[in-house]
Amino acid sequence: MKSTRTRTRIAVLGLLGPFVVLFIFTLVVPIGYALFQSFTATQRSGAYGNGDSSTVFVGFTNYVRALTDPAFVASLGRVLLFAVVQVPIMIVLATVLALMLDAASARGVRFFRSVYFLPYGVPGVVASLLWGFLYTPGLSPIIDISKTFGVQLDFLGSGSILFSIANIVIWQYAGYNMLVIVAQLKSIDADLFEAAAIDGANSWQVITRIKLPLIAPAIVLTTVFTIIGTLQLFGEPLVLRPLSSAITSSYTPNLSAYNQAFTNNNYNLAAAESVILALIACAFSFGFLKLVGRRRSS
Amino acid sequence: MKRRKGLAIIAAVATILTVAGCSSSGTTTQSSGSDTANLTFWSWVPGIDKAVDLWNKENPKIRVKLEMTPTGSSGTYAKMYSALKAGKGAPDLAQVEYQELPGFILENGLVDLGPLGMDAQKSKFVDWQLSQSTFNNKVYAVPQASGPMGLYYRADIFDKLGLKPPTTWDEYAADAKTIHDANPSQYISTFPPGNSAWFTSLAWQAGAKWFGLKGDTWSVNIASPETVKVAAYWDKLREAGLIATVPDFANGWYSDLQKGNIVAWPSAQWGGSIISGNAPDTSGKWKVAPMPQWSTAGKFTSANWGGSSVAVLKGTSNAQAAAKFALWLNTNPDSINLLIAGGYGWPATKSALAGSDLDKPDPFLGGQNANKAIFKASDAAINTNWAWIPTTAATYSHLNDGFAAAVAGNGTFVDAVKAAQKATVADMKAKGLKVKAG
Repeated sequence: MKSTRTRTRIAVLGLLGPFVVLFIFTLVVPIGYALFQSFTATQRSGAYGNGDSSTVFVGFTNYVRALTDPAFVASLGRVLLFAVVQVPIMIVLATVLALMLDAASARGVRFFRSVYFLPYGVPGVVASLLWGFLYTPGLSPIIDISKTFGVQLDFLGSGSILFSIANIVIWQYAGYNMLVIVAQLKSIDADLFEAAAIDGANSWQVITRIKLPLIAPAIVLTTVFTIIGTLQLFGEPLVLRPLSSAITSSYTPNLSAYNQAFTNNNYNLAAAESVILALIACAFSFGFLKLVGRRRSS
Repeated sequence: MKRRKGLAIIAAVATILTVAGCSSSGTTTQSSGSDTANLTFWSWVPGIDKAVDLWNKENPKIRVKLEMTPTGSSGTYAKMYSALKAGKGAPDLAQVEYQELPGFILENGLVDLGPLGMDAQKSKFVDWQLSQSTFNNKVYAVPQASGPMGLYYRADIFDKLGLKPPTTWDEYAADAKTIHDANPSQYISTFPPGNSAWFTSLAWQAGAKWFGLKGDTWSVNIASPETVKVAAYWDKLREAGLIATVPDFANGWYSDLQKGNIVAWPSAQWGGSIISGNAPDTSGKWKVAPMPQWSTAGKFTSANWGGSSVAVLKGTSNAQAAAKFALWLNTNPDSINLLIAGGYGWPATKSALAGSDLDKPDPFLGGQNANKAIFKASDAAINTNWAWIPTTAATYSHLNDGFAAAVAGNGTFVDAVKAAQKATVADMKAKGLKVKAG
């Protein structure tokens, strides 16, 4: 009895061990260090510090500084607004594409599935550069063509930059989310469709009564991923920043933390901003899961 | 199980605290008597590789490995700071622009070059560039080049419109109107909302003195009357729609230069190579005029934009050899000629112009010898008591953000300047430095 238990324990350690070690060193330790840094600050003396610098514990000073910085608070509001607009569009688009691919009358399913998924294979920075060229007046064929029709398009102005970024994000990830939903669709028992056909259901009723309710878990999953990813928006504003005068150094919370750390050497403030962002992302994800869970159990 | 969990948590916390407690401070160890010294040099100056190759040929005992990096403010300074903080990975030699030097001093990242050969060669360098490399009476960097300013303009387009290059900023505004009225897709120039270093130079030209140091207290006076005058001037042009507000050094602006939609650029001497590199088909059509002035009476004033030095970073294993190379790079006439060929800027050594490769007519400027005719006088007219603070990068960020908001319709450039003043004082205080406003 004992030896089986020990053998099982060894097997578990051996299989999970490497993952746990990596997890601790690449996730837990850095997060712990960031938390530590967010509660400390550097104290200096003299005009240039003169080497007399010490790290002191300052409690919540960095957090107060982050939350009273109007630019950082504005960036939080901006990504929340961005999430509110972009997440529904992304999920609806992914669901529609998945349903279209799964329709009985669909043609060339494999071809279209690859085409929709292709943008996800383009690395994020390359995608932003690509779209950056398409957004730049003087270089973009889209802007040139629309000019001949008398329409003056401005993709990089302050009123439209958020939509331009949303466009890049949706273009990149809709295919990925679509695949998650397609996988769930494929796992629906075919008997249900037979029964529906016997009962005389049309395709719209099949979608609303059978498919949508049964892919709800996949939709919940993709929504949570999208919320988390959207709140962390970073790569697209970073790459588009040299092209657009509308993107400031603290356009999104992640970008703000990055600039505080690496342009201004304010590692403690950057750590506090990162922790605040992480807490908000957690709150929204768990809040959403709770909301959905409560509805389903009611 | 519960006890195991508890022990695991204690172990994790202990690990975190140990890792956090390990802060390594870089120490300079001098290795004398090793056969060949190997040095790494991070730079982004075009053409500097030729000078480094020349050194390696003439000095086989000190090998310098050049690594071309993106410009400092595009992430290379961040890499340098991170490497210094980590205690390893930092290069021996680094290109550092003048405005970033105080930041490195604050992080205790540079080696004092005085005893390593700089004291002997101090007199070779232009005074104000040497003073921008000096902190607490010690010289921490070898001045390399500066950027005396002038007005690059499309002579062919100005001639076509019957305009002479503006000698005052009022004339500049009038020309802006003439140019834009004649062709709505043409602008005299752009006000780049993301390049506050350019705006800083214009404020410098107008006589502003933003930063100072008395004892150990810094003074910050960004929203000075001269600066507000400059900001209000560009506000008027922006509100009248007479200037473009596209970012410079970006594809859209290069395209405008190529197509002739931007016809002038108040820029530094090194701006010529930017234009020729990105709009080569406009060769022969550009000329340089002296910087427009604020008043017709009084002295001719110019300003400096950019300029950098070569510094030796703490943690280098051979500071002596590094200093030797840095001094050679920026004083040796052969090296300077190679750097000039790359378009690195205005040399930091005194009387470097005469007889050097700078003193030639430039076909790109239609045969004008702009260095002799314009930039020499410009260099002599720079107000030399300008200084920088350790958080200049943050100040630039604040100005950029404010300018971007103004361009988007929220506020004015003047508001941006006032907001930057407040934010800069807060930045300095947050770094634990003594600062007074005004």
